[in-house]
Amino acid sequence: MGLRHFAIAWLLTASSLAQDPGEPPARKKGPPRSTEPAVPRPSDLDKARLESKPPSLAVAAARAAEVARVFIDWAGASNVGQREQVRQLIAEARGNTSVAAAFCDEASRAAESDHSRALLALSILGEMRSPVGEECLRKLLHQPLPEKGTLADGEIVEQTALAMLQAKAVDGLAYLRTARADQEVLWAVTKHPSRIVRAEAIEAYLWNHTDSPEARATLQKHVRPDEAIFLDRIRREPEEKAESFNRRLAAFLKAHPELAPPPPPRAYRKKRSPLPPGDDKPPVR
Amino acid sequence: MTRSRKLVLVLLAALATKAAPAQAICNQSRASQADRDLWNTHGCWEAFFLWQYQAYDMSESDWGGRGWDDACNVNKEYPKHWNAAYLLTYGLQDNLSFSFHGTADYRGTAERWDNAYHDDLYHTATDDTSIFGRWTYHFFGSNEVATSCLLYDPNLSANANPGSRAGDYEHEGWHGWMDEYDWDNGSCGGHRCGPVGNCAASSCDYFYFHGIGAYAFGAMWENDGTANRFHSPNQVQVEFLCDVADFPQGWVPNSVRLAAQADANQRASRRFINGPGYTCGSPRPW
Repeated sequence: MGLRHFAIAWLLTASSLAQDPGEPPARKKGPPRSTEPAVPRPSDLDKARLESKPPSLAVAAARAAEVARVFIDWAGASNVGQREQVRQLIAEARGNTSVAAAFCDEASRAAESDHSRALLALSILGEMRSPVGEECLRKLLHQPLPEKGTLADGEIVEQTALAMLQAKAVDGLAYLRTARADQEVLWAVTKHPSRIVRAEAIEAYLWNHTDSPEARATLQKHVRPDEAIFLDRIRREPEEKAESFNRRLAAFLKAHPELAPPPPPRAYRKKRSPLPPGDDKPPVR
Repeated sequence: MTRSRKLVLVLLAALATKAAPAQAICNQSRASQADRDLWNTHGCWEAFFLWQYQAYDMSESDWGGRGWDDACNVNKEYPKHWNAAYLLTYGLQDNLSFSFHGTADYRGTAERWDNAYHDDLYHTATDDTSIFGRWTYHFFGSNEVATSCLLYDPNLSANANPGSRAGDYEHEGWHGWMDEYDWDNGSCGGHRCGPVGNCAASSCDYFYFHGIGAYAFGAMWENDGTANRFHSPNQVQVEFLCDVADFPQGWVPNSVRLAAQADANQRASRRFINGPGYTCGSPRPW
């Protein structure tokens, strides 16, 4: 065998060993690093953060875009304890069409680059209940879903992202509680191509009509036959205590025995004795 | 060039590819608002990330070029990973009257240690955008939880936010639970193939409905061999996202909660064969 053949044989062996999962190579040890100055403890930052003042939305058209952006920054960083304050500020700006239009523009811009910011802008716009906002939400709701894009776990990621924004738009339309906006919501219940949006439209219509029998009767005329279960879907609201939720869940499961899952199937049996969760403690916040 | 020379070149190239560490192609220059808002609640907290990389068994081999050497730059993948781990570790209220599960459950599922939730595991990153995340069984050593660029790059997907990312740690960690207790959840990436029943996706789970308080905190791993006490990966993910959206600590930013709620509700509406799962929160816009 010539040298060349020997080299090929060696390379073939080495290559096959390289593909063989076998024992994994040792992973590089050593901690992550940063050159930035470290903070002592995050809880030390809480107070300063909460002292941040919201920007006023009472501005002229020339400053609307800038103020809308700053307001979205502030509202995104606000916490659950500031919810009523955010709602109040948004309600006070209802008549400011320039600011509403700026929120709409920011939602469109962020939809392409930062979904979490687009959700914020649409939430604010929906909470505003303004005519400009209504038009913006309606336009978004009817935007066609992309049919091509990044396919992950069988879904087109861009399609899901837009449908989630449209679901937020439907929340805003339903919250207007006008006949015209309700027609859009009911259109979405029947005709929107995404189940994400249809499901949210049902939910939002029911909630905004206090789950009344009349609202259910209206929805029954619009809901797709294979999606009737969404009318009975269990809502987990933050204020509801366990006893009440559990009672409603039990009633739901009793009314829908067809939803009981089958017994989970076994893979193969290997005997194990369960251990308690690892008890290594993170540093105290 | 002779055939044997070509063969040598091909083999050398194969060896070189195998030997070289993977270079990140995921965008390392931007973070979503939800990531930035959460980041601003803790900043460059060294004590945490020096704990976290061990708790998630992360290494420079897997995270080099992804912010390992720049651990306080929220635009990079590794800092985003520990940002999500921070939310998971500290961000929940753990209120038995309201929360589906507690921090002990979610940490037990996501962190590395062999425990009642799974065997040892370690966390890696992948540029593969055909998945959100993947749990991989390894015959030798720990099992692997890989999270995809889709969970980090805000230009790519809605899931590049801390809640969805941590939700994926739960989802993939729960595949580890399935393995730990020998359950067969299906042949489509560890799920039932879809669409089927009320599931509109290509990989589907059952929802094993349970009330609030049905599981003590730290007991989510329990099952009684029937559908009465059981969880699927998508269900654990939805319940975690609901707990982030509805019962977070007071300092958790609203941008994080809103993104978690939107993810929970889209997932609950179309990933479950016997769905939909619960809807989280009220549909009031703010």
